Amino acid sequence: MKIVIPPPRTQPPPTQSFMQDFKLLLGNQMRLGWNKIKHWPAAAWFGLLGLAIGFLGIFAYLGYVAYGVLKALPLEIGQGFLSLIFMAGIAAQVFFGITAAFVILYMSEDLELFFMSPVPLRVVFAVKSLSIANSNLIPVILFSFLPGIFYGLLFQAGAAYYVFVLLVGSGFWLIGTALAVLINLVVMRIVPPHRSREAVGVIGGLGGILIALLFQIPSMIMASEQQLDISNWLLSQKQLLNVMKYFPWGWGSQALAAGIAKNFFSALGWSLLLLLAGIALFLVAFSLLEKGFRQGWISLNQVTAKKRSKSKDTATTVAFKPKDLQFTAPAGHTKKAPAAAGMWAVAKKDLLYMRRDTREWLGYLTPILLMMFFVGQYLFFKQDQMKASMITVLVMYTVMFSGNMALQSFGREGEADWFLNSVPLAGWPVVWGKLLGAVVPTIILMQALLVGTAVAMKGSASLTLMLAVGAVLLAFGASAIGLFYSINNARYNPESPQQRISAGASLMMYLINLVFMMILALGVVYLIPPEELVIMLKSMPPVPTGEVPLTGLIRFFYIISRPLLWVPVWRIVLGVIVTFGSWALVFFGFMAATVRQSLKGLKIESITSTKKKSRKKLL
Amino acid sequence: MSEILIRTHGLTKRYGDTAVVDNLNLEIKGGEIFGFLGPNGAGKTTTIRMLTGLLEPSEGQAFICGYDIAREAAQAKGMLAYVPDQPKLYGKLTAKEFLRLVSALYRIPKEMAEERAKQLLSMFGLWERADELLEGYSHGMRQKVVLAAALIHQPRVILLDEPTVGLDPASARLLKDVLQEMARQGAAVFLSTHILEIAERMCDRVGILKEGKLIAQGSPDELRQMVGFSGESLEDIFLELTGGHETAELIKSLEGNNE
Repeated sequence: MKIVIPPPRTQPPPTQSFMQDFKLLLGNQMRLGWNKIKHWPAAAWFGLLGLAIGFLGIFAYLGYVAYGVLKALPLEIGQGFLSLIFMAGIAAQVFFGITAAFVILYMSEDLELFFMSPVPLRVVFAVKSLSIANSNLIPVILFSFLPGIFYGLLFQAGAAYYVFVLLVGSGFWLIGTALAVLINLVVMRIVPPHRSREAVGVIGGLGGILIALLFQIPSMIMASEQQLDISNWLLSQKQLLNVMKYFPWGWGSQALAAGIAKNFFSALGWSLLLLLAGIALFLVAFSLLEKGFRQGWISLNQVTAKKRSKSKDTATTVAFKPKDLQFTAPAGHTKKAPAAAGMWAVAKKDLLYMRRDTREWLGYLTPILLMMFFVGQYLFFKQDQMKASMITVLVMYTVMFSGNMALQSFGREGEADWFLNSVPLAGWPVVWGKLLGAVVPTIILMQALLVGTAVAMKGSASLTLMLAVGAVLLAFGASAIGLFYSINNARYNPESPQQRISAGASLMMYLINLVFMMILALGVVYLIPPEELVIMLKSMPPVPTGEVPLTGLIRFFYIISRPLLWVPVWRIVLGVIVTFGSWALVFFGFMAATVRQSLKGLKIESITSTKKKSRKKLL
Repeated sequence: MSEILIRTHGLTKRYGDTAVVDNLNLEIKGGEIFGFLGPNGAGKTTTIRMLTGLLEPSEGQAFICGYDIAREAAQAKGMLAYVPDQPKLYGKLTAKEFLRLVSALYRIPKEMAEERAKQLLSMFGLWERADELLEGYSHGMRQKVVLAAALIHQPRVILLDEPTVGLDPASARLLKDVLQEMARQGAAVFLSTHILEIAERMCDRVGILKEGKLIAQGSPDELRQMVGFSGESLEDIFLELTGGHETAELIKSLEGNNE
């Protein structure tokens, strides 16, 4: 074959202006964004739409509350309230900006390419900074521009006022983005690149908690309407609001208040001060960022980071001679290790993997943090609504984590087919080992979620005991269900060699688990009835007769709750039958099915990113 | 006499007290294929990253075509291309779009860029799939796209880090032919590899790095003379110089030669 390649250049490429390079890289960034959006699945669009509606609803509600508050307040206090909103806006920008900066700068696929090219680094970082600022657009609109605009509408400000809104909003945008970049510099310095995914997991977890908090705000406000009067609270916080004047968010509110009062020189002064502070902070962040990457203060990739902890002993020496090694088993060697040893080896490997993969831990950190939040909220507010919302979240998490660890068991590292087919362990030893590896952390998590909450809520001893027993039974039963779905529904993407489970199978597993959980809960409640429930049942009126909507459902719950009021012997007998009968059926049924499948092999669906070449095969 | 296209002077990289690359002095001329060898963790990739300007050296200088990579970065980078061992590409760009971007980064006129992209993608057997997103490409195909991107702007110096990883035999052969053609046209080829057979067949000269220090450099024949062997392979010389005798013995015993 004739090789046709262009001859080597003799002169370096001609230099281009900053703007030409900037346009080139920005165009590339936009093309990438467009290509990504073009290939989004429909589910992502629906998810985004749902989230957008949820957020819009919350912000509309908060805006309505804020509008009412501002209307009832004197201008000075209103200005203080505005500075509080601006402060929250900067916090939101910092949070979203850090996440965006981390992904854009630290996990980007193109920094290396640009660093090697003749494009100046300042152009690269200018485009990257613009992308970070872009990710802050929504918080800055919601917390800086919109409050400014509504403030103006409320006090019927003139057209010139909106110029100050623009200047103030831009100043906050720059400050928020610069702060996010500066904090991210520290994060990038601390987190080595090979741990970046875990770090994003932590940031994502914190994001989840913040979003959960955000969704709680309307219900908290509504629940505490009688106790909490925002107008009165603001009036009593005059000193705090005065202090705000010394911070950028106070400068912004002073600029807008001066704009409403038609004191344009003062308004221009404050808004320009804010804008200049933003520009200065942004330039500092920009130059530190560029310097950090250029001087290697921040690692560009895994290779250099790993070198930092390089062991001195890198020589490839071996302390033994080949002739000392026994490569083959002696003839007539028939000694077999007990199956329990193999089972324990499998479980130990899974547990070790889980302990060492921080991503797994961080994934389970979020529900525990959320649980702590709801417990704290309940203890703080002592309201029944809080209790109800906490129970809802706990039930949701219990369902979510039932069988979840087992669901990953066979696909975790893609080694399962080797375990199933290549070592003499196929069948019960592997499946029991996998079960043990999944059940141990699940029990810990369930006990933390259920029993921990019951203790924190000062629940009765019977309630705590019931949850403790239920958690053990649920962990075993749900894990058996999870293992069955894990072995039958693995997906493998050769481009990112880690196996996953198909979304449909996960959903099905959660549904089956939900039904199992409900039956098991009923059985355990018969066995160890919580005092709270018995007291409630005794005080309940009889089910109304006639064609009342939902009568059938109410009657069903009424009937299944009756055994709780039976004499203990019959109640316990029924409890044993329902609890252990349903548990044994589910546990042994799914385990047997999993073992049967394990002898045939692991079912894997091979997928690629395009998902066009999906095919199912049996390994 | 050919011009020196890659030159390092006392190039050093330290992390804390550990010198990962220690006082490296190299000179590679145009038309030369230079094999850069060394055991795992010897400092090969760090050296390449300093040569490409991806990493600032702790001490010393590196020159590409006479341009100091630290002080005249734009000129030096404009003359070189780097092919990393793990191809990093935009999953959401097509091969054509990616080559267009690289061409623009190196200021190649649009028409010329289109023509070269077609030429190179056809040579690597990727033209038929040039409009597909790169995320659907296999490792070998991605490696070929990186190679095409490296060649599209006519580099005078090309640095390759384990370029044959993931390539099938036909593609590896094609790569070898391309590199030889580049050298024939006057480019300097700097090749870091673990596959000593490739180094022995392709390279005019090799340098052996151990614990950050260049312990030997020269043609395979010169190295043979240096270690006192006459008919031994580069593998034997490498193992002798890097202290891997026990490993060699183990390999031989596994091959059944340790009777």
